Amino acid sequence: MKKFPKITTARASQLLFLLVFFVLFVQTEYRGSDTISAAINSFFRADPLVLVSYLAATRSFSWLLFPALLTLFFTLLLGRFFCGWICPLGTVLDLVTGRIRKTAPLRILKGNLKYWLLLPLLSSALFHVNLAGILDPIAILVRALTFFLYPLFGGTVRGGWVGLYRLIGERRDALEPGFGLLRDHLLPFRETFYPLAFLSAAMFLAIVFIERYESRNWCRNLCPLGTLLGLFSRFSPFKRFPAQLCSDCKACRVTCPTSFDGEELRQDECVLCMECLGACRQDRVKFSWTLPGRVGAPFFPERRVLLGGLFSGVLLSGSFRFRRPEAQARLLRPPGVKSEDEFLKKCVRCGECMKVCLTGALYPAIAQAGVEGVFTPVVTPRLGYCEYNCTLCGQVCPTAAIPSLPVAQKRRAVIGKAVFDKNHCLPYARKTNCIVCEEHCPIPQKAIRSEIVEERDPSGALIRLQKPYLVEDLCNGCGICENVCPLEGKSGIEVFAVKDRTPLKEALPGPVQPGPAQSGSAQPGKAGGTASESDDPYR
Amino acid sequence: MKRRSFLKLLGLSALYHQWLIRGVSASEGPLLAVAEGKDYARVTRNAIAALGGMKKFVKSGDVVVVKPNMGWDRSSEQAANTNPIVVRAIVEEALRAGAKKVKVFDRSCNDERRCYVNSGMVAALSGMKNVELKYLENERFKKVELKGKALSEWELYDEALHADVFINVPVAKHHQLTKVTLGLKNVMGVMGGNRGSLHKHIDEALADVNGALKSHLVVIDATRVLTAHGPQGGNLADVKFLNKVIACSDIVAADAYASTLFGHRPEDISVTVAAHKRGLGEINLKKVRIVRA
Repeated sequence: MKKFPKITTARASQLLFLLVFFVLFVQTEYRGSDTISAAINSFFRADPLVLVSYLAATRSFSWLLFPALLTLFFTLLLGRFFCGWICPLGTVLDLVTGRIRKTAPLRILKGNLKYWLLLPLLSSALFHVNLAGILDPIAILVRALTFFLYPLFGGTVRGGWVGLYRLIGERRDALEPGFGLLRDHLLPFRETFYPLAFLSAAMFLAIVFIERYESRNWCRNLCPLGTLLGLFSRFSPFKRFPAQLCSDCKACRVTCPTSFDGEELRQDECVLCMECLGACRQDRVKFSWTLPGRVGAPFFPERRVLLGGLFSGVLLSGSFRFRRPEAQARLLRPPGVKSEDEFLKKCVRCGECMKVCLTGALYPAIAQAGVEGVFTPVVTPRLGYCEYNCTLCGQVCPTAAIPSLPVAQKRRAVIGKAVFDKNHCLPYARKTNCIVCEEHCPIPQKAIRSEIVEERDPSGALIRLQKPYLVEDLCNGCGICENVCPLEGKSGIEVFAVKDRTPLKEALPGPVQPGPAQSGSAQPGKAGGTASESDDPYR
Repeated sequence: MKRRSFLKLLGLSALYHQWLIRGVSASEGPLLAVAEGKDYARVTRNAIAALGGMKKFVKSGDVVVVKPNMGWDRSSEQAANTNPIVVRAIVEEALRAGAKKVKVFDRSCNDERRCYVNSGMVAALSGMKNVELKYLENERFKKVELKGKALSEWELYDEALHADVFINVPVAKHHQLTKVTLGLKNVMGVMGGNRGSLHKHIDEALADVNGALKSHLVVIDATRVLTAHGPQGGNLADVKFLNKVIACSDIVAADAYASTLFGHRPEDISVTVAAHKRGLGEINLKKVRIVRA
């Protein structure tokens, strides 16, 4: 234990985890396989803030979050190693902080502000409003990347590629192999532009901005995850010696990025970067084990912060309950989400589902789900639909707020129900044939069907019109009908949220399982007299 | 000349004349090959060979576009997309005939990545030299003056327009609006813009586009066909095995013949009728020389 790794080890670990973070981030996309084995969700599953708020809100444990339990355990043992060795946001700050000139620390941040952030978050989670993800450092970073930087990067590179085509036309094909590598392995497949991109970027940039007051300003004075880990690290038997600045040197005050505001080392703010170990010229500094139980500072600076923080969480949880009913009607959640309340308790708002969504159907809510639903994913069918055979959002969700369903179950999961607007729909409103929605409906027996009727068109001529209608029991609300409706602007068919999201009946013949079960359930279609079917002479 | 010999000559020349007329009409009717069997790669090759081989269409150094239907995120056995075995056989034949490059693409309805993979096309064509299976890029759609009955102009894909040889490889299947979807409709896969808006006058619109973009060779995959719930299907009960591949350089004749496999008369399919009326090909199967291979 004497020869603890030098500073380089912590740095190496940080860079390694940052690299892993970026690789996983880029990997969180469909690249030819139905399953994503490793995604950025690993970071959230090891995130104790996610775990604690999940426990408080749902009052149940999920094995998905077991890694976070390990992080907590090792924090008890070692201290805030997560902040100094793993956290990608911390690493980003460490990388840029050297270039930011420092002024004096902000006094407003130095009090108990961080407890005033953490405690209300946790206590409101106890009252079923889980807002932790809004301020979770990893979620902030992933959102800034997903909603802002990654689309910007992809859009810029692809813009250049398109510009090249405008310039040299098909001769661009000579460069195709090089661009192909970039496109297949690094770029987002399509550029999706998100609402709240500005807010997501602003949160991240604000964290970088406050580095000008002191290093690791966010981590020490605001970060709720850091504060939580700090509470646990107080019990850590793994400590730096000496615990104060040496009276003859005091170099640690400058070297240490987090813990020496005063003479005494702040154990709950030490991120174990071990810069002091390498910098000490007298070779006095060491990190070693000691008997636990000698917690120097009082547990909380003041009791009123604890009580006040917890109480304001109650106030917080009560103040965001209002929902606009008309926004609720279109509040479509990802497939498999059955209850809005349950979903809000678990959703981390990390944006992974939105990043991975094949068709760009998921967008962060602004106010549709009330203030407490900000950044949570909403299906927006006019922009993208839920791909019938895709299960990726459930796979990458760190807390199973979107359940990870096998594809057969996901196909039956109900997002909402489609409704025709006959004032817009072409065959009804303008007496022209269309049936694009019916064509695209992925349900093998077709939730959208049409009947052939003879009507007179505006010129008085008799025409055969195919008028579509919905078979509600078969509709899973995937939204492809609304997405492909050829009308400009408003679609002639729209998906609306439903309270009862019981999955479609299993009797639905899955496309992969032929057999007698199918003929039975195919009957209602025939009995219903689908004109377009009986019209086919070969049937 | 004596009267008798004059009459003889007259009679003989009349015979000759009739033979001549028949011969002319026969040589002008399009040749259509129907191959049948379980080995789909061989069946495909046989169909093309019966037309005189791929060398009749592809010259050495040509850039060839093979346009299958891979518009849906459905597996090969669900018959919503062209059979990848058929496509691979065509690509191989084109390469053997001397094609410099073969490009395979489609503007899919579902997510293109899933469609390309799930249709089996990625696996079928992987590792082949001088073969490109790529996603469409929006900037490559070019506005083309069609001056048609339904469409005055539309965006078409440049690589399809600029190909030396365009081989149209649809899968024969049911369609809710047009009854069947075949070669004429498969061309929608190189159209940009809001394709759904075509549906209100799809017969004329497809004739317009096919008039501007000629399919040099049409190979219809009827190895297994979708008989209901087209064009997407999804239910194996709707899939029927015909084990046939049809090849023809006349797109209307090819579609006309393939529609009979579903029990339709060619004249019942308005898309085929409209194309025929525009002079895009022969709809009367009596005037088509059908060879079995």
